[in-house]
Amino acid sequence: MPTTIRIALLAGLLALISNLVVLGFIQWRTHDEAVSAQRRTVVEQGAVLADIYNTGGMRAIGDGIEDTLAYGDPQTAVGLFDANGRQITGNLAAMPRTKGPLRGGYQTALIRFREQTAPHEAAIVALKLPHGQWLISGRTIGYGLELRDTLERSLLIALLGAVVLGLAGGIIVAQYVGRRVGSIVAVTDRISARDLTRRIPLSGGSDAFDRLSRQINEMLDRISALMEELRMLTDSIAHDLRSPVSRLQAAAQAAAETSDSAERDQQLSNVVRQADSLMRILTTVLEISRSEALTSRSQFAWFDVGELGAELSEMYEPVAEEAATVLRFDRPATPVELFGHRQLIAQAVSNLIENAVRYGANGGEILVRVSRHASQLEIAVADHGPGIPAERRSEALRRFGRLDSSRSEEGAGLGLALATAIAHLHDGKLKLDDNQPGLRATLELPLTRRTAGA
Amino acid sequence: MGRKILLVEDDRETAAYLAKGLGQEGHSVERATNGQDGLFQATDGTFDLIILDRMLPVLDGISVLKALRAAKVETPVLVLSALASVGDRIEGLESGSDDYLVKPFSFAELLARVNALLRRREARVDPADHRITVGDLEIDPLSRIVRRSGRKLELKPREYLLLEYFARNEGRVVTRTMLLEQVWDYHFDPGTNVIDVHVSRLRRKLEDGFEKPLLHTVRGAGYMLAA
Repeated sequence: MPTTIRIALLAGLLALISNLVVLGFIQWRTHDEAVSAQRRTVVEQGAVLADIYNTGGMRAIGDGIEDTLAYGDPQTAVGLFDANGRQITGNLAAMPRTKGPLRGGYQTALIRFREQTAPHEAAIVALKLPHGQWLISGRTIGYGLELRDTLERSLLIALLGAVVLGLAGGIIVAQYVGRRVGSIVAVTDRISARDLTRRIPLSGGSDAFDRLSRQINEMLDRISALMEELRMLTDSIAHDLRSPVSRLQAAAQAAAETSDSAERDQQLSNVVRQADSLMRILTTVLEISRSEALTSRSQFAWFDVGELGAELSEMYEPVAEEAATVLRFDRPATPVELFGHRQLIAQAVSNLIENAVRYGANGGEILVRVSRHASQLEIAVADHGPGIPAERRSEALRRFGRLDSSRSEEGAGLGLALATAIAHLHDGKLKLDDNQPGLRATLELPLTRRTAGA
Repeated sequence: MGRKILLVEDDRETAAYLAKGLGQEGHSVERATNGQDGLFQATDGTFDLIILDRMLPVLDGISVLKALRAAKVETPVLVLSALASVGDRIEGLESGSDDYLVKPFSFAELLARVNALLRRREARVDPADHRITVGDLEIDPLSRIVRRSGRKLELKPREYLLLEYFARNEGRVVTRTMLLEQVWDYHFDPGTNVIDVHVSRLRRKLEDGFEKPLLHTVRGAGYMLAA
């Protein structure tokens, strides 16, 4: 069954049910209203007749009944019956029918007038006289019921209209929903068919469909960006692995072809070196993915970043010296405690220092500085080398985003990407700035972590 | 001096290659091909060293290691693993292994670590005189004073630690990764020649003004301190 018809039928059904509920309620209420309106009159009339009997006895009651009926009110019902239920006087053809046995006092019952066949619903007062006779007096509640009948008829007509309107409304709603959903489905169909460029058209409003569409569109943007990044990544891995692999291939070939054993040894150690560098590239790529995917903070602990920075600076100070530059280190007088992964932070910082030594050494000193700004920790490595132009910095942060592809140093393009991944793992980021001249790479890490101590 | 080594490795080729190499070094090697057998043989406790692959059928290496340590088997364990990330290495070390080597590795690297571990066991069994001597080099770990032929050498703290580590592994090859892990306690591969720079500085201090070299470069493997 098509959705449109289903929604239309559902709307029609709901209209039907709600009208039936209203109808039932009105019937119940009007009935009760009619009954209680009659009650007082009936009880009064019964009391008058009882009084007549008490003062005048059986003879007086016959006259009392005659008098009561003489008003000619068609609603009035009065009757006197003997102990066997036979009629003595009054306008009732038989004893009233009640649900249980007839009791004394007020109640509702079905009565039948003399010379009539159809019973009427009536409110009556029954009084049992000393010799077993029954004095019945009451009024039919036909007026209230007539009113109810009129109401019922109009309600039935309204019901019919409501059902028709409900069906029509249902169809309109269903068609609208169908159209909106259809446009979303059309796009998702295209996406299943690998066309990620399509977007769901927006109606310009802010209803649920637009919100859904906007969210799907944003999701698509993100997926396309990721796919693009993935494609570039695969391309660049393939590209970056080409040169070490071909160098390895050349060395292996040379080793295989030479007859000079010293030359062979030389080439074989070359093979090992190239294989090592390949391995290092792959390990770093894996390390980046791991850091990005790492959710467990089981290896997080508190440690003094100032101390770590000092240790790393001391470690790289001779390397800087070899590269004919000076590495200076600066940190606050008090410890800077971070809840984090010490080894990974060490790796990130050492990557930044290695980058500075490798690319910025010829421009003067390298400054490594640990500092604290409010609740943020900064580890900055600044060099005075050629730096990275502002428009190329985001490129530099990407995996394999090596700016000078002719550089022969293997895997150098991964350092900044790994540092970025590690910063993200610590809810922080890696920022590249102009050091005027040179590059300043800063790891910005929040010191107050929601998971701290957890 | 041959030692008894248990090799738990499911890859036939690697196992055969390692067993052959270690056999040539004079060690006797017993092999197990899954974690359960490995654990069974290891709890025997008569091995000098256990080489344990991390990914094993039936029972993985880390579980074997934890079970061993829980059973108070203190045999040194060298974990081999294809998992290279810093986190994996730390996890491996924290679960009770004595060393962790990432695949693929050169046999020289493995041998250097095996020898270091066997040596550590020796030292544990026989706590010798606290002073370490290598030829005419004399190291006092308590005062951290280093003399060569009676002449005091001025070493920076890290240089001293580096030298002490070399000296404790006298006559054995020590790789760059071992130095980074043991002397600096970092578990990542540095991209630059940072270790070489430190070693060559130490070498200059050790050998300047002396005729006989002490700190040797072992090509394709690392360094060795020997008289």
